[in-house]
Amino acid sequence: MSTWIPLWLHKLGSPPTFYRVAGAVRPWAMGLALLCGAIGLYGGLVLAPADYQQGDAYRIIFIHVPSAWMSMFIYAVMGAAAFVALVWRVKLAEVVAMESAPIGAAFTFITLVTGSLWGKPMWGTWWTWDARLTSELVLLFLYLGVIGLYHAFEDRRQGARAAGFLAIIGIINVPIVHWSVTWWNTLHQGSTVNVFGHSKMPWDMLWPLLMVMLATKAYYAASLCRRARTDLLALESGKDWVRQVAETEAGR
Amino acid sequence: MSAPPLPQACSAMLRRDLTLAWRRRGDLAMPVLYAVIVAVLFPFALGPDLALLQRIAGGVVLVTVLLAMLLALDAMFASDIEDGSLEQLVLSPQPLALMLGMKILAHWLATALPLIVIAPLLAGMLHLPPAAMPALLLALLFATPLLSLLGAVLVALTAGTRRSGMLLALMLLPLCVPVVIFAAGAVAAAQQGLPWLAPIAWLAAALILCVVLAPLACAAALRIALDS
Repeated sequence: MSTWIPLWLHKLGSPPTFYRVAGAVRPWAMGLALLCGAIGLYGGLVLAPADYQQGDAYRIIFIHVPSAWMSMFIYAVMGAAAFVALVWRVKLAEVVAMESAPIGAAFTFITLVTGSLWGKPMWGTWWTWDARLTSELVLLFLYLGVIGLYHAFEDRRQGARAAGFLAIIGIINVPIVHWSVTWWNTLHQGSTVNVFGHSKMPWDMLWPLLMVMLATKAYYAASLCRRARTDLLALESGKDWVRQVAETEAGR
Repeated sequence: MSAPPLPQACSAMLRRDLTLAWRRRGDLAMPVLYAVIVAVLFPFALGPDLALLQRIAGGVVLVTVLLAMLLALDAMFASDIEDGSLEQLVLSPQPLALMLGMKILAHWLATALPLIVIAPLLAGMLHLPPAAMPALLLALLFATPLLSLLGAVLVALTAGTRRSGMLLALMLLPLCVPVVIFAAGAVAAAQQGLPWLAPIAWLAAALILCVVLAPLACAAALRIALDS
């Protein structure tokens, strides 16, 4: 029992195996993302009741909150993968870390945009310099720094290691984003949804939110699979297995 | 041949870098000149309204000093990479982190110290109340080495790339946000007559943490960047 898990991980870490597995996982993950996204958004935008105070404007949380969760989750994944890449020099971990960065940056950007769209009618301002907003903006800059550093190197593996190091330094910001609403007295409200305890949200509003959250997770998996596959082909372009892949693709 | 003892190696490193900096005095004056120009432009852009200038003086001086340091950061390892002496340093028997720590110290002495010296002048030009001056100087004294240390890690990371000043700014911005917040917080508190020691203490705590960790991180980053 205890030996097959590391063995399986070792196998998955090899680029040809991962290429195959990712190709098989991707359509399912994408399908799950589309299905959950459609159900969740229908539930959130149509079925869920309007808020007693904010009216219909609160519905933006069905995009905002899952994106915000993903912006932190992807950064954590990127940091963990970068750590694995630096310590054990696993090529696949470098690919996962570097291909996560643009997806995470996109989610962070969506979080900031939807947040300010909601802030205008609710707070009366697009932007305010409170701790949650600022730390989320800093997160976006961290993502951009990682992407920029990765592309500044001519050798991609060296770039991935350097950018991974930056990602590990920046991971200190993730807990700051998460607990900023507790540590400081912010305009941004505290967390309403609690995974391990009682959520301060009625079930009618909660289930679409969790559904969209599942959709964003599945979308991340699908997108990462696609990006990592492309990146692996480019990185391993001289290898035999890539030639075989190219030949089967050409034969079809 | 046995390696020289550690204290001697450290002082040799420090002396070498300071001598090199002194030989290029013109380069040293550049960040100072830049800071003066930026600080002078503010009253022209905002109008010479005394109350307004007093309110923003602390923040303007802090940001100006930070930008001037950013201008000089790029050159921290540049000449050593060009002539190959950084590779020699990596190969030397002394611990790389300690040697880099000495380089960072020399860089701070050469670029940040002149900026701190002219900071009261800049603050005076912007009519910062004299009561806030000690807070500003103390904040700068703790914030600038912090920036040097954090910046050194990032400069080491970009050591293997083509010249990329903008990238450095992009990477340094997230890391220096807390430094600016605490330094500006101290100056603002002093201006309002509130106790301002707490933010300074935070800066000092962060500085102690960085003095220990940043040279190690800098060494690790340099090994990654030069490894090809």
